[in-house]
Amino acid sequence: MISRVRREMSQAELKDTFKGDEPRLKSGLRQFYGVVWASLKIMLSYKSWVIMDLVSTIASVVMYYFVGLQVDPTKLSQSGWGTSYLTFSIIGVATANYLWSCLTRLSHSIQHEIRGGTLEAIAVTPVNMFTFFIGQTARGYLVSLIYLLGVLAVGVAGLGVIFIMNVESLVTALAVFILMLISNQALGLVAAGIIMVYKRGDPVAFIVASLNEFLAGVLYPLGMLAAFPILQAISMSFPYTYALDGIRRALILGSSLTDPYVLKDILALSLFSLVLIPVGVYVLDWGYRTIRRKGETSTY
Amino acid sequence: MRLKDIIRFLGEPVPRGEVGFLEKVRAFLIRDFKTWWTYKLWVMLDIIGSLTFVATYYFVAQIVTPDALISAGYTPDFLTFTVIGISFQQYVYSSVSSLSEAIRDEQWDGTIETILSSRTGFKVFLLGESVFRFLVGSYFLLASLAMGVVIGAKLTLTAGSVLSSAVMALLLIASHMVVGALGAAAILKLKEGNPIVWAFTWLTQLLSGILYPLGLLPNYLQWLGALFPLTYSLDGLRRCLMSGDDLTSALIMQDVSKLLIFIAVMLPISLWAFKKAYDSTRREGSLGQY
Repeated sequence: MISRVRREMSQAELKDTFKGDEPRLKSGLRQFYGVVWASLKIMLSYKSWVIMDLVSTIASVVMYYFVGLQVDPTKLSQSGWGTSYLTFSIIGVATANYLWSCLTRLSHSIQHEIRGGTLEAIAVTPVNMFTFFIGQTARGYLVSLIYLLGVLAVGVAGLGVIFIMNVESLVTALAVFILMLISNQALGLVAAGIIMVYKRGDPVAFIVASLNEFLAGVLYPLGMLAAFPILQAISMSFPYTYALDGIRRALILGSSLTDPYVLKDILALSLFSLVLIPVGVYVLDWGYRTIRRKGETSTY
Repeated sequence: MRLKDIIRFLGEPVPRGEVGFLEKVRAFLIRDFKTWWTYKLWVMLDIIGSLTFVATYYFVAQIVTPDALISAGYTPDFLTFTVIGISFQQYVYSSVSSLSEAIRDEQWDGTIETILSSRTGFKVFLLGESVFRFLVGSYFLLASLAMGVVIGAKLTLTAGSVLSSAVMALLLIASHMVVGALGAAAILKLKEGNPIVWAFTWLTQLLSGILYPLGLLPNYLQWLGALFPLTYSLDGLRRCLMSGDDLTSALIMQDVSKLLIFIAVMLPISLWAFKKAYDSTRREGSLGQY
């Protein structure tokens, strides 16, 4: 029976049967969409994890509400940031959390794929690897943005946080925020490049996040570092320090883009971006090329 | 080849005899130390991370008033108050979460099935996985406290207060080993996202008074905070290390009794939960799944 069928099949039919599938994802945009959507679907399949993550993000802000009850408003106002510690700290905590998840998103997802043995599979498909990296990063931004807005909303609606919200201050905060993402994403690219080669942990992101939280003034006014010139100098070498200052000036003091302090922050962030982004892209590319050359896309 | 040689060649190795309980725990300890020591960079980064976290509160302390601490009966020293809170909370966090993380790692690496299908029972497995992590946690705890002292925290160290703190710390460890076992049970079944570890890390941060005295919380949150052993441990440890109280103090004995009750109630429950999760995953054949 089988031999009769085989005899009846024409050469054209045989070719058609055995030929490979046409790659379905040709456009970069569709590949990008595919990566973001796949990643979101995986995340949403862990519903309890998503809820716990959201609640813990909000809990971390509520905690600073109670810390704020112990802060002397006079001492805070002397540093020029108003009298509400919660308003001051919520900007620090929310942006630091946001930055942490954005910084680590790409490196964690690469680590996850390597460990799951799927990075190699993705690398041999027609998906452009840089589209894959951009897609993973974009998913991080998107999800973390929801958390960020949730935290700010809880602060404003439930805990009495007061921001100065007019067109000028919001535009200023947004401009500084975007520059903060660009300049810090470069560090995320470096972290991802290094993690591909060295596999374990995420040392770059860890150092940046720890020092950011300690020295960028997330929980205390930066003026306090004046007594420690070395710490102050280190704090000025992180883009996040300028970003936090700019966003606070916009939302707490109502500063606009014409404010000289905000302009100084924007200039510093632009310089960081110009220098760090090429470095980040280079390290990411180096990491990917290295593991391909060594055949280590699925070793961990 | 003679028949005798063939039999010897193909024969299975004779079991070397029963390995003792302590020997197995020691083997876990050595294995985990070797793995940990391989990543020296991470050891250093972890230390830096813990120390910078403590140091941040040196600056926060400059803008805080001690009124709430005085109302709660503590010495008016916010820096010492937070150094103790943060150091012990990090200790608890690393100890509770690391047991689940260890099991998660074994699941990912495909080694959990191998270990648990050997003659190593689940109790030895749990203890073996915990011991090294508690030791590392203790090392970080001492480093954080030392850092606190360097930046100005004032600990009252008398024979009585140190001895009482040691008792409180032992109860803290025992109560959180119980919680760690519950978390391990959850991770065996759920694989991803662990509600137990989450509750004992994030909710304790909010409700156990790490950065503020519990009197600042509304009543219903104080009631919730009373469910966590860290709340009593921190209260007792602060009374010992800030005010120099010891086990003869009624307030400290109250904390000790509550911790003992927690351990007595939760230990059988957590071991039962782990055994159930362990048996269930073995029956389903999902022990090695992740």
